[in-house]
Amino acid sequence: MGLLLHKDDKHPRELSLWEALKEGTKVVLGIESTAHTFGVGVASSDGRILANENRVYKPPKGGIHPREAAQHHARVAPETLRAGISRAGISLSELDGIAFSVGPGLGPCLRTGATIARTLALSLNKPLIAVNHSVAHIEIGRLLAGCRDPMVLYVAGGNTLVVTFSAGRYRVFGETLDIAAGNCLDAFGIKAGIGPMPMPELMAEKAKSFVQLPYTVKGMDVSFSGLLTAAFLKLKQGVALEDVCLGLTETVYSMLTEVTERAVAYTAKKEILVVGGLARSKRLREMLDTMARERGAEVYTIPDEYAGDNGAMIAWNGVLQLLSGMVVDVEDSRVKPRMRIDEVDVKWFG
Amino acid sequence: MLSLGEPTEMIRLGAEAAIYTLNWNGMELVAKKRIPKPYRHPLLDKEIRMQRTASEARIISEAKKHGVACPAIILVDLDDATIYMQRIRGTEARNVIGNLNRETLSMLAKRVGALTGMLHGGGIAHGDLTLSNVIVDERMNPYLVDFGLATFTKDIEEFAVDVHLLDRSLQSTHYSLREEFMRSFMEGYGTILGGILHKILEKVKEIESRGRYVERRRRWG
Repeated sequence: MGLLLHKDDKHPRELSLWEALKEGTKVVLGIESTAHTFGVGVASSDGRILANENRVYKPPKGGIHPREAAQHHARVAPETLRAGISRAGISLSELDGIAFSVGPGLGPCLRTGATIARTLALSLNKPLIAVNHSVAHIEIGRLLAGCRDPMVLYVAGGNTLVVTFSAGRYRVFGETLDIAAGNCLDAFGIKAGIGPMPMPELMAEKAKSFVQLPYTVKGMDVSFSGLLTAAFLKLKQGVALEDVCLGLTETVYSMLTEVTERAVAYTAKKEILVVGGLARSKRLREMLDTMARERGAEVYTIPDEYAGDNGAMIAWNGVLQLLSGMVVDVEDSRVKPRMRIDEVDVKWFG
Repeated sequence: MLSLGEPTEMIRLGAEAAIYTLNWNGMELVAKKRIPKPYRHPLLDKEIRMQRTASEARIISEAKKHGVACPAIILVDLDDATIYMQRIRGTEARNVIGNLNRETLSMLAKRVGALTGMLHGGGIAHGDLTLSNVIVDERMNPYLVDFGLATFTKDIEEFAVDVHLLDRSLQSTHYSLREEFMRSFMEGYGTILGGILHKILEKVKEIESRGRYVERRRRWG
């Protein structure tokens, strides 16, 4: 771990790659393929992202189809890999490890990424590193936002979690009881004919009045499926699309902000980190900021490129795991579509 | 607007509500006021605070009907999202149980168990059952307070979560007393619930094995 820069340092010192390699810096290639995104990233143990190439599958219509997404990933993989390697300015033989998303995610998509990672690791004779996708979102956030021990709100199309580090792992304080927050907004936008996020949020800005929709917070947990059904019902009843969008986005973001607030109140943490695709939402950030100000806490966000699914986060988490000795044999590298975030020993935290 | 006089002193500030004390015609009351959240749309904010205030008041009065010792509700001011209720004079159980002899501890635990049994038997889960939310008077009578997360339910899982959370809160604050307390608690709990007790205990075990609740509530204790 001695190679890592001090976590306070928001601006990792610039080393030429050649210098870095001479100093014994580890460089890891990461492959992301849990859902829409096929990504290839390269990160080094001095805290630098050397490449982040991502190709996003856009379904011709409707939501994501796992097999079609997986076929897309297989199709774009060679080009994406080449782009990542050339952007990093490194040859494959100089890599110190190959990391991939082992879960949670869609089975066919995960298997596509895993197969490529295994092939690379075996043919190059490099260690294989199985990375938990959710943990990787948090770690790239901690690296780039420069926070130490945050309460994390991880909101995306497939995940909604409030987590923080405690006793060796990221522990779940609150989560969705049914569908993810991003899924709720995307599904509504697609079915209403305007398309996924950010469309519902942009539409909400044109609203004339506020529509009440069911607000479901149970202790620390949230539930969105009833809300989605109710929003469709309002549309059917002839309520203006803009107004339903406002009601829907306000309700979703308020629920997320409330459970985050509860978690912050109980733990007295002073940092709030927002990661995942929905972290791009302006309105959600605004709400979290307002809440944090009242609690004397601060909200940390990261550039959009790293908020959603991306290859760089897998590469960076791969670096952390490699330095902690957390590598796997190919035989033990089966993907885990339902993997939980609290299954992972976070040995590098500190 | 309805009001029973000026609140005097804030005694607790949670994530959602503030608790004040006040004196009304010689009676000691507390006012639990749900605070507006500036991040929420004003219409949504008002609706949520009113709904939760009404629901909490309904649950407390329903709990009372089932014989659960808890504060008597004096007035509900929905517009102000405030519940005025009897102030229970006493000490939080978590500050009491360390200073009791075995016999008294076991008696208190049995009473807390019986209270919880009555609550669950009445179809109510507390939602935040820790020793901070049990007030003990000088005669060792326990009272349940803070029904902010309580729900009407018939789901055994929610009852099991109550029992589990209580156990966890003991584990973190009074490890040495935990076994003794929980054994007596179960005794009192079982006298009320009888037949379905084993089902709930099975659920408690299942929840423990999931590990999900392990760390997340530790600080609540």
